[in-house]
Amino acid sequence: MSVNQAVSSPKAARSPLVAALLSLVIPGLGQAWQGHLARGGGVFAVVVSALATTIWYGHATWYIIPAALWLWNVWDCLRMPAGAPAWAAAILWLSMAYGIGWQVTEINLLALAQNGERAASILRPMMRPDFITKRQNRTQYSVRVQVPCSTNPPRAQATINGVTITASPDCVTVGENILVTARGLQPNFPTEVTWVTPTGGVIMLGENNAKMLTLNSDEQGNLTVMFTVPTGIQASEEFVQDYRIALTQVETLPGYEISPNGRYILQGIYETLALALLATALGAVLALPISFLAARNLMGGNPLTYSIYVLARTFLNIFRSIEALILAIIFVIIVGLGPFPGMLALTVHTTAALGKLYSEVIEGIDPGPIEAVRATGANWAQIVRFAVIPQIVPSFTALTIYRWDINVRSSTTIGFVGGGGIGFFLWQWILLGDYRAVSASFITIAVVVIIMDFFSAQLRAQLH
Amino acid sequence: MLRIENLTKVYPTGTVALKDVSFQVEDGEFLVVIGLSGSGKSTLLRCINRLIEPTSGRILWDDIDITAANAQQLRLIRRQIGMVFQQFNLVKRSKVITNVLSGRLGYANPWASLLGIWSHEDRQRAMQALERVGIADKANNRADALSGGQQQRVGIARALMQEPRLILADEPVASLDPVLAHSILQYLEALNRTDGVTVICSLHFLDLVHRYATRVVALKDGVKVFEGLPKEIDRARFKEIYGEEAEEVRATAVEVG
Ligand SMILES: Nc1ncnc2c1ncn2[C@@H]1O[C@H](COP(=O)(O)OP(=O)(O)OP(=O)(O)O)[C@@H](O)[C@H]1O
Ligand SMILES: [Mg+2]
Repeated sequence: MSVNQAVSSPKAARSPLVAALLSLVIPGLGQAWQGHLARGGGVFAVVVSALATTIWYGHATWYIIPAALWLWNVWDCLRMPAGAPAWAAAILWLSMAYGIGWQVTEINLLALAQNGERAASILRPMMRPDFITKRQNRTQYSVRVQVPCSTNPPRAQATINGVTITASPDCVTVGENILVTARGLQPNFPTEVTWVTPTGGVIMLGENNAKMLTLNSDEQGNLTVMFTVPTGIQASEEFVQDYRIALTQVETLPGYEISPNGRYILQGIYETLALALLATALGAVLALPISFLAARNLMGGNPLTYSIYVLARTFLNIFRSIEALILAIIFVIIVGLGPFPGMLALTVHTTAALGKLYSEVIEGIDPGPIEAVRATGANWAQIVRFAVIPQIVPSFTALTIYRWDINVRSSTTIGFVGGGGIGFFLWQWILLGDYRAVSASFITIAVVVIIMDFFSAQLRAQLH
Repeated sequence: MLRIENLTKVYPTGTVALKDVSFQVEDGEFLVVIGLSGSGKSTLLRCINRLIEPTSGRILWDDIDITAANAQQLRLIRRQIGMVFQQFNLVKRSKVITNVLSGRLGYANPWASLLGIWSHEDRQRAMQALERVGIADKANNRADALSGGQQQRVGIARALMQEPRLILADEPVASLDPVLAHSILQYLEALNRTDGVTVICSLHFLDLVHRYATRVVALKDGVKVFEGLPKEIDRARFKEIYGEEAEEVRATAVEVG
């Protein structure tokens, strides 16, 4: 300390004691009074921000930090010009920031480890993605049954492709038993028996109507089964409707095919790619004119164009800062579920993001060629065509391709809020707990994104 | 004949780049403008075709007042004034031939040119211009695939497309090595001698001034401090233009030894 005082500057000639008193009243004031303006400001900011944070958080224990910082600030004055060690203040401040931050975000590392069983029940099905299944041949035969009986019910008998199914009685009411006999089925073969409502809903006839009733046909291809007409169906007392009893034989063929969920995934990813492409194209078209208005080097000339520039910039910054996901929620409310609101949201976000990037490209172009082309006597449009566009087209194309890339990724999450595409299916499957379909979607999304990444990188490399 | 009368340029920043500069350039002259960096050479050349708007003064070309021309008239004036730049100012990603053709924009049909459609004559003219500067074989290369000297030759070919009566060359060889410097200046000299094009060219090296200039104008802090023949620049004049500490540097290494 004595060494420090030996080389002290004239500024420090002012009494450290008075400075300390000043700092006790207002943090940083003493330092400023001693001539260390920047240090005074910094100290003030540190103490006040610590105080503000603890007040906002509202837990009394944390007040110890601003108090300690306040004392540090007085100590700092006493030790001028060397000052108190800054790391002490830094540790105090950071421990508060991290401590409060930790509590605010409710970090609970134990939860990650404790629920291993729950995690396993999700991860196990995810190891078997539901994308392809063994190839199957489903043959279904059905017979119509009236519920309840009309005055003159038709015979409950049908012959399809040599298979004859007969139900008796010909008509039933809910809760009655019904006997079904079939002849001509594939012999010795598992056959699913289901009850089909007039609207095509399939009701299983196994235990509690929650399991599939599967029986084997005999050696002659005959099958006889008796069951109770399910009570769950909303059959009216007087209104006669045609229900059906269906017999389904599922034959496993060699080879694999895309499963029904796999087909949804393909449809979803196609929707996602299409809506991302459309949003990117529309966004690029809209961003183009705005980007010229938001380029400082073109608009800085006079107060009118400059104010247009400021407006365009502000517009771009505002819409760029709103997540596409949030825009999607708003558009879902306005236009309803489906790919359309997702596309609108992505379009708005893309317009803003690309507009900003485009304008930065325009601001970065070389003014030399513009000057040269102007010097040849070219008019404004010719200057833009020959000196501006050749300079910006490659970057614009690269940025647009890159944006499509980003849009494919974000349109998967936009589907979560009803914005269509694969995200929409994914969200349903997560709710239904169909984790095999979930993992198949993950894989599909990853593969598509990786492929797109690869090609967009290639394309962009070509443009240089 | 080009007459510069009391030309003054004050930039918005307050810098007075040209102060009351007057001189004349006769048709067929090779006028060289010299002066220290920042003395106002570029500003002067750009005021002549109004890439920079003069603050006051007049520029008369024969009986046309360039300073009074409206936008349409100015384009018609500009297309007769070729310009060559220190940094070449080519559109780097465009083809050489496209860069050369852009010199014809002032004459071409505006709509066709916007679509990139050029008349047969213009294309022929462009190839001839490239032949004249000796790089016809590079016509379909991208401009940035050429060396500096070749790029400057494209710059000259672009100016040739304008069938100029006047060429403004702003330090056309400052980015090139001494050998290339001579080859580029020889193209300008040939245009000057055989086609009778008036050339106004700013240069840094005195040996080049002696070799090519028919007359010299010297600027210092925006003021004309000398006007006369190259041989009149003796030691005293040189110190006056470039300051007391200045030593003459030669562009061509062989001449030093
Ligand atoms: N756009 C501008 N805005 C403000 N000041 C400028 C501008 N352009 C040039 N100047 C100033 O005007 C003065 C003359 O510049 P000019 O470029 O004409 O000089 P020069 O002789 O061509 O120099 P050099 O040999 O370095 O090219 C300099 O002081 C320069 O800083
Ligand atoms: Mg210059």
